[in-house]
Amino acid sequence: MSDGKIVSIHSFRGGTGKSNTTANLAAQVALTGKRVGVVDTDIQSPGIHVLFGLDEQKMGRTLNDFLHGAASIREVGFSIGENPGEGQGRAQLKGSQLFLFPSSIKGGEISKILKEGIDFNVLNEGLQTAISEFDLDYLFIDTHPGLNEETLLSIATSDVLIVILRPDTQDLQGTAVTVDIARSLDVPNLLLLVNKALPKHDPQAIKAEIESKFDAPVTSVLPLSFDMAENASRDLFSLCYPDHEWSKALKNVVPFILNAK
Amino acid sequence: MIGSVLEKIHNAVFFQELSNDALEAVAAKATLRRFADGDVMMRKGDPADSFYLILEGHLKIVTTDARGEEIIINKVGPGETIGELALVDERPRSAGAVALEDVEALEMTKDAFFNLLDQRLDVALGILRGFSHRLRFSTTYIEKVIDWSQKTAEGDYSFLEQTQPITNRPGTDDDKAAQLLSTFYSMVRKVKAREEGLKQQVEKLAFEIDQERRKKEFEEITGTEFYARLKEQAQTIRRKRQGS
Ligand SMILES: Nc1ncnc2c1ncn2[C@@H]1O[C@H](COP(=O)(O)OP(=O)(O)OP(=O)(O)O)[C@@H](O)[C@H]1O
Ligand SMILES: [Mg+2]
Repeated sequence: MSDGKIVSIHSFRGGTGKSNTTANLAAQVALTGKRVGVVDTDIQSPGIHVLFGLDEQKMGRTLNDFLHGAASIREVGFSIGENPGEGQGRAQLKGSQLFLFPSSIKGGEISKILKEGIDFNVLNEGLQTAISEFDLDYLFIDTHPGLNEETLLSIATSDVLIVILRPDTQDLQGTAVTVDIARSLDVPNLLLLVNKALPKHDPQAIKAEIESKFDAPVTSVLPLSFDMAENASRDLFSLCYPDHEWSKALKNVVPFILNAK
Repeated sequence: MIGSVLEKIHNAVFFQELSNDALEAVAAKATLRRFADGDVMMRKGDPADSFYLILEGHLKIVTTDARGEEIIINKVGPGETIGELALVDERPRSAGAVALEDVEALEMTKDAFFNLLDQRLDVALGILRGFSHRLRFSTTYIEKVIDWSQKTAEGDYSFLEQTQPITNRPGTDDDKAAQLLSTFYSMVRKVKAREEGLKQQVEKLAFEIDQERRKKEFEEITGTEFYARLKEQAQTIRRKRQGS
């Protein structure tokens, strides 16, 4: 087996910024010259394709096809380096080794897979094949919020798990459970990432407080930003606005990924 | 038509998706009109038979209240269009338009407009894009207002701090939605200030984890057969990968 690493991005509650963070991190890592894949395992409500400019028309084979045995992983991988599409941020990905493995956005396909369930071995084989066939250094997984079965599957296979949380009580409570699960599943690198921090919160204080509560490193504290909200997932924010506070804080996460054992 | 007019048309969001060639086709079907301060450009209730793209000057969009007094709904300036929605939905003018200074505008009649759409698929598509572009912008802002309304209703003003008041990009059509958002923002800020005057109390985020609940939820997830199987499979896979 190849030694590419699986990096899952997860949050206990929805809307924490998983998809935006995953897409931006994957892009940043790809821009360091690494070969990177991004899999959308949020089968119920896929979203990350939007950040890479894919719509129903552009989307070819999907992870769903693979899970049904109707397509090979090679057919599912969509080269962003060859098709960066419109958008000033994404355009910078031209020529990079970045591949998206999207989840179908067709209602019928979604309900079909939810009915049938996902076989751990098939999904795992898909991930491993993606790594070996595309010779990936990193395979990022964008997950569905909560701890449902497909999410547990991706946590179970990951080498690095990044749990995103907002600094509020409910997220902290849910994150506590996620952290316990990740430890129970022996995830080798458990990282935390705070998103949507308010200006009134001192990033250092948040970091210290959360690290002491969970005994896991907080890789960065990303500010809640109106500019991010306005970007509304239209493009890769950290490529469009590299000097923005959010982008700078996001880039702090990259070395944690590159140095994970 | 002269280049400067073409350029002005191109700057209008409504037409921004059109190629130069398509813009020329639009311009060829339009008439340049001039209005003086106080001239009525459109009357409420009139049939909608044309629309205007404002090139120079400002005008007000007006309606009347129950007592018959004039209410200014909006001010419109260069780069903006008026009356274009009425062309499509075929309703009479919903408000009047009165020039506030010398106004220069391109008028396109309904017949010319549909004629053009008929002949030129590229123009039709470009205009559709203009519409959807604007709708998308508005939707983003409106979702924000909905979100903020809900938060405000719950007494959660946290969004005020994360938000810098919006910078309006003048002349673009997302202005109105953006204005709604910024008006809403300043309203909530005032409401909050008033409320704070009443209760001189500082809030603090409670960072306490309910350990009981944490344990219970953990056990609920890990207690299933699915989980036991998953854990076993994960161990096998990790061992295999480490071995390689
Ligand atoms: N730091 C931030 N400041 C403001 N808005 C943000 C920030 N991060 C993300 N957002 C916005 O929050 C929304 C949710 O982001 P995103 O889709 O990435 O989250 P998600 O966790 O993948 O959501 P879901 O659980 O629905 O899959 C988006 O509209 C995004 O633009
Ligand atoms: Mg998502």
